[in-house]
Amino acid sequence: MKKIEAIIQPFKLDEVKEALKSIGIDGMTITEVRGHGRQKGHREIYRGQEYNVDLLPKVKLELVTTAARCEEVVTALAAAARTGKIGDGKIFVYDVAEAIRIRNDDRGDSAL
Amino acid sequence: MAERAATVDCLVLEAAEQLLFPTEDSRRGLALAAVGGYGRAQLFPYSDVDLLLLCETDREVAERKAPIAEFLRRLWDCGLRVSQSVRTPAECLEVHGQNIELNISLLDLRRLAGDRALYGGLEEKMPRFLQANRDALVDNLSRLTGERHAKFADTLYHLEPSIKEGPGGLRDYQLLCWLEQLGGARAAPPPELQRAFEHLARIRWRLHEMAGRDQNILTFDAQDALAEEWGQGDAALWMREYYRHSRAIHRAAGRELESVEGRTSGLLAQFRDWRSRLGNADIGVRRERAFLREPHMLEDDPELTLRLFEFAARHGIRPSLETTRRIEAQAGRLRAWFSVSRPIWPALDRIFTLPHAPLALRAMHEAGVLGAIFPELDATECLVIRDFYHRYTVDEHTMVAIEKLWRPEAPFADLLSEVTEPGALIFAGLFHDSGKGSPSEGHVDGSLRLAQAAMDRVVPPPHERETVLFLIRNHLELSAVMQGRDLFDQRTIREAAGRTQTVERLKALTLLTYADISAVNPSAMTPWRAEQLWQLYMAVYNELTRELETDRIASLPAGGAGRAEFLEGFPTRYLRTHTEGEIDEHMALEARSRRRGVAVDVRRLEAAWRMTLAAADRPGLFAAAAGALSGFGLNILRAEAFSNRRGVVLDTFTFADPLRNLELNPSEVDRLRATAERVIAGRADVDELLRGRPRPAPPSRQARIPAKIHFDSEAGGAATLIEIVAQDRPGLLYDLASAISSNGGNIEVVLIDTEAHKAIDVFYVTAEGRKLTPEKRAAIAEALQRAVG
Repeated sequence: MKKIEAIIQPFKLDEVKEALKSIGIDGMTITEVRGHGRQKGHREIYRGQEYNVDLLPKVKLELVTTAARCEEVVTALAAAARTGKIGDGKIFVYDVAEAIRIRNDDRGDSAL
Repeated sequence: MAERAATVDCLVLEAAEQLLFPTEDSRRGLALAAVGGYGRAQLFPYSDVDLLLLCETDREVAERKAPIAEFLRRLWDCGLRVSQSVRTPAECLEVHGQNIELNISLLDLRRLAGDRALYGGLEEKMPRFLQANRDALVDNLSRLTGERHAKFADTLYHLEPSIKEGPGGLRDYQLLCWLEQLGGARAAPPPELQRAFEHLARIRWRLHEMAGRDQNILTFDAQDALAEEWGQGDAALWMREYYRHSRAIHRAAGRELESVEGRTSGLLAQFRDWRSRLGNADIGVRRERAFLREPHMLEDDPELTLRLFEFAARHGIRPSLETTRRIEAQAGRLRAWFSVSRPIWPALDRIFTLPHAPLALRAMHEAGVLGAIFPELDATECLVIRDFYHRYTVDEHTMVAIEKLWRPEAPFADLLSEVTEPGALIFAGLFHDSGKGSPSEGHVDGSLRLAQAAMDRVVPPPHERETVLFLIRNHLELSAVMQGRDLFDQRTIREAAGRTQTVERLKALTLLTYADISAVNPSAMTPWRAEQLWQLYMAVYNELTRELETDRIASLPAGGAGRAEFLEGFPTRYLRTHTEGEIDEHMALEARSRRRGVAVDVRRLEAAWRMTLAAADRPGLFAAAAGALSGFGLNILRAEAFSNRRGVVLDTFTFADPLRNLELNPSEVDRLRATAERVIAGRADVDELLRGRPRPAPPSRQARIPAKIHFDSEAGGAATLIEIVAQDRPGLLYDLASAISSNGGNIEVVLIDTEAHKAIDVFYVTAEGRKLTPEKRAAIAEALQRAVG
């Protein structure tokens, strides 16, 4: 099992969800986050006062899938989240040791 | 429920006989009683069975520990969820501030088994205990109720309500019974409430059965199942009936709480009586509630209701329940009265914009007056629209949105004070989702249609009407941009600016968006989202301010060659903010100015005055005009200065007349006009005019708004932007404008706004036809800094 964690542009969330749904993935966790990598901050002056936005709004998306499907999911996710510009975000893939469905104690792939 | 209680009684008694009271002797010193819902013999499947084990002394408690444990275990094994307390009579007769539930549960005491004398003793002392501690108990109950309601955001209109704990739920019905008991009354509740209780109890019974546990949330699934089961296919309709019953309970509980509290608190009552001085000929105040002195007048004068709610909006005093009932009784008459065109916009606008507008609107909604004036809103009353995010019915969402609109959090709070048509904003808030009640069309289209129909009757001024329609039409736009577009892409911002057109509309639309999202559910407006909205606002604001200078009218709408010549070179803002009629007037003014170089028009508006001037441009002209107004002791609220390609300047000043000088002396209007013309033409000296005027004392340090001066040479095409935010004072605009002019700056475009002692001024300045040089800029900056002090 693999955990896929993606940091994406907020305005791409709907497209990404659609893309994942179309390949049969509809379970995920989404968090509103702030951060920056290479896309540095942004400066806005409002009425003479500077507003520095050094942490940009992003959306973090987490999901766990079987090892076999991992590549397919990552590809679909990246394609949907891409604009080609700095700030598109990153995808991280982790190994998952175990998954347990709390309701009925299902284990492993069948708990996903 | 009683049947179930009886069955449980048998089980409990059997276990008690075997384990607690095996011998005659063991009956002494211990009694078993039912309390809480079980005490009332109102037991739902899977609900807690509340038991009181009454021990004569603490020693008895210790000695009986083992058999009591055994007894409880047996009951658990039978599948009962037992919730027990072991107490001595003395403990039962204390007020437990921390554990008020114990005191309350004893109100429903019922003997089951054990020591008769012991139980009898407690039962006998109970009335006197309640009598003596009534105030403390009522206080505690009221506090607990407040806390409980707060958990549900103080509203019963949840899409998935809690039938037990929520406002207007079964707990509130119980509260009513307890309060009556504490008040010494034993009257049966009115049939309306009895029916409401039975309805809710029936639902709860089924909820527990369906879930197989103590589950009290009326979920969407349960709504569907029960609507089907009770032969009403449409769950939304079925829920309306639920809300009606719940509302009856909620109101009665509120009324009862209000009346018992009124009897208890002496000091508070004194303060409240002081508020009674606020009353007037129509309306009196008693116990913090407004009442109509002669309610029968409603029959001849339905607009008395508007005055009542204006009073509520002004002072934050709700109408009394009796008055509300009187108004409800006139519902038919009110509806008929307001169903024809009545230009009541000024009265509504006052209600919408007074400090306690949300309270007044809510009270109007609850009394049915809002529906009488605007039957367009009927279709959204108690309307459930299911989606993943919304927590409230549509009408409740609307009321919450208006509350959020009125008390936005920082940084949006500043925007509210800067909105130029707050009445139109509130009206748009009221109607933004009204179309959700007519599913055959898109909800935005529906809302527009309904708002138009309503405005045809109440007749707001044309400009506000346009604003309302703009806000409703676009109320989802900013959210859509936030969700689906890159906020850091300049194209996104330019499009949004094109859609909002003016800074004024942008501010109103941003607030409406803020309120609409915030009212979806209590946690919908996360700091993250608020930040995004603010980002978007700032970027679009900057784009619109920039446009003032770069986006000039070049090609024109129809209207003849003269018109084209007049308009060419004005910022596009001019077309967006002026009606055809105003443009015609401005052209006539410009024609008049050709003879003497200047023409000035002064006229009265609804709440202020306006001076418009057309003149051939010359250095210092804007400063001179501002100085003339200050010389008359007039406060400039807003100003715009534009010039067209032929060097004709059109300046508009909106100003207040704090001493009512112009109003009381009509000849002063002529003198102002003549003075302004002389000063603008350079035939009189402004400093001379200002010499005699006293300088006001500066405001206290804490209240001062820190001055900010910002130069931007990047923003405009050919001019430098100077943006100034400062503490407003009489003569400020004159000082700022002269600071720029006397240092060689030529003022090209001006947009001035004043809100609550804060002046927000945008100047586009050139020197010798170009952007300011660094030296000029430094000189002007220094002079401006001196002016804002």
